[in-house]
Amino acid sequence: MRRSRRERRRERATLRALTSSALALFGVAGKASADTAIDHVETGYSFSTYSEDKLEASKTIPNGERDRFEVSTQQLSLAAPITDWFDMSMLVTHETMSGASPWYNTQDAAGTPIQIMSGATITDTRNDLNLHANYYTEEGRLGFTGGYSSENDFDSINFGSDGELHFNEKNTTLSGGLGLSFDSIHPTGADLYTLRPTQESKQSYSGFLGLGQVINRRSMIQGSFTYDWNKGYLSDPYKEVFGIGNRFFGDDRGGARHQFAFLVRYNRHVEETESTFHLSYQYYIDTWGVSSHTFELDWYQNFGDAIQLAPHVRYYSQTAANFYIPYLRLNQAPLPEMSSDYRLSAYGALSFGLKGEYAFHTPWFRDIEWRASLSVERYLSSGDLSLKSVSVPAPGLVNFTVLSAGLTVVF
Amino acid sequence: MKRMARGLRALAIASLFSLCGCATLSEKWDSLWSDVKLPDFPAFDEYTESPKSYVEIALEHDFLVRVKPWERSVLARHDMAWDPDALEAARRSHTFFSKEATMPGGSAGGGGCGCN
Repeated sequence: MRRSRRERRRERATLRALTSSALALFGVAGKASADTAIDHVETGYSFSTYSEDKLEASKTIPNGERDRFEVSTQQLSLAAPITDWFDMSMLVTHETMSGASPWYNTQDAAGTPIQIMSGATITDTRNDLNLHANYYTEEGRLGFTGGYSSENDFDSINFGSDGELHFNEKNTTLSGGLGLSFDSIHPTGADLYTLRPTQESKQSYSGFLGLGQVINRRSMIQGSFTYDWNKGYLSDPYKEVFGIGNRFFGDDRGGARHQFAFLVRYNRHVEETESTFHLSYQYYIDTWGVSSHTFELDWYQNFGDAIQLAPHVRYYSQTAANFYIPYLRLNQAPLPEMSSDYRLSAYGALSFGLKGEYAFHTPWFRDIEWRASLSVERYLSSGDLSLKSVSVPAPGLVNFTVLSAGLTVVF
Repeated sequence: MKRMARGLRALAIASLFSLCGCATLSEKWDSLWSDVKLPDFPAFDEYTESPKSYVEIALEHDFLVRVKPWERSVLARHDMAWDPDALEAARRSHTFFSKEATMPGGSAGGGGCGCN
């Protein structure tokens, strides 16, 4: 009986683990330890569309722009072993964005904030290249990463290094990393809109430390702490704060932000039902006054070796930044820092999705393994979904849908 | 009241009996234990004199569960990876990052974008 490629790969992994442990027993363990560079070339392509729902008519002025943002994303990845100790991977992303985005808030006759959108004139493309190289030793892994991202009005270059250290017979893993990012912002239309700067920059310095532990043959847990320090121009050049009485002010978020995230992840496989679930929780807090909770559950249900269905659900709730203000009342003096960005308001969000994957191999053509996938995700945000009650939710809160198709080839 | 008093008396008698029972048993207790062979724990001196931490000692004596390399077939599964689909994970992380005020944890760096 012919076994599937996935089955054989699994057996090969077990055999490799067995061999390495047998070698270890005899004290001749060379580089054939279980943690080595990837042993095959893998490439993947994915196409996805992101589309935001129309703004509700009651949340803007009559006949105001209600269409929102759309993004189509193409991703291409390639990962390949260079030697037994060394592998490299690459991820290229190309995005085209179009539509309108929230500009500023004003109030309706009842005094409730309403959203004014920019005209549907935004078109932009983003190209992003990310390279990652990994060097493996018997005790761990050392990785280096570098990336470049470019948009019409934005350029970013980043570097980083991360690593893992295994101990306790690889049942415990200490991981950590450092990253730097240097961004340059040159907003379009700075000549027309006087509140927009012509050229600005921002920097980001981040680090994380994590500890993973194998609990038993079927489950593992990982906790990590991440810190990010942003400085420079952190405001949104395309957003403004409106003061009743026809006054306009630029979005100003100050020049520094310290971010802290605590993440716990837990994976468990249930052999009886051939399913795996991933559970995660993140607590986040920053010096802008934003704190958030994120809960996520991913369920991977396998039907034999070929079909996998993966539903997931995610709940998110954040508090508002200290300087979030929908608009300034009549004669209200402008604040030293202020922003009307709905993303800095208090709200909650629920998203859920389903992904289907079909794996097959072509024995008549180089015995390649293919994995084709389709996925859909729906995201809903509102003040009602917040953990703490929100008295005046931002009118610009977004709902969106993401559709995606992907193909992965394992040589 | 009467019922309660009767209950208390019964309890007192029962306690007395059980105490006697244990007392009788305790005479045999040492002889029972003498047959039990306790494992050789490291002497107290070993904890203090060697630089080993309690964690290391706990590991040496298998107080913590350790999964051996040949028991890792489930942990090595594709769907047991922290992010089984790297492309999807990158895209979702970027989407949430651009629409929410929170940064994704568990990694450092990554490129900025003009999205927030």
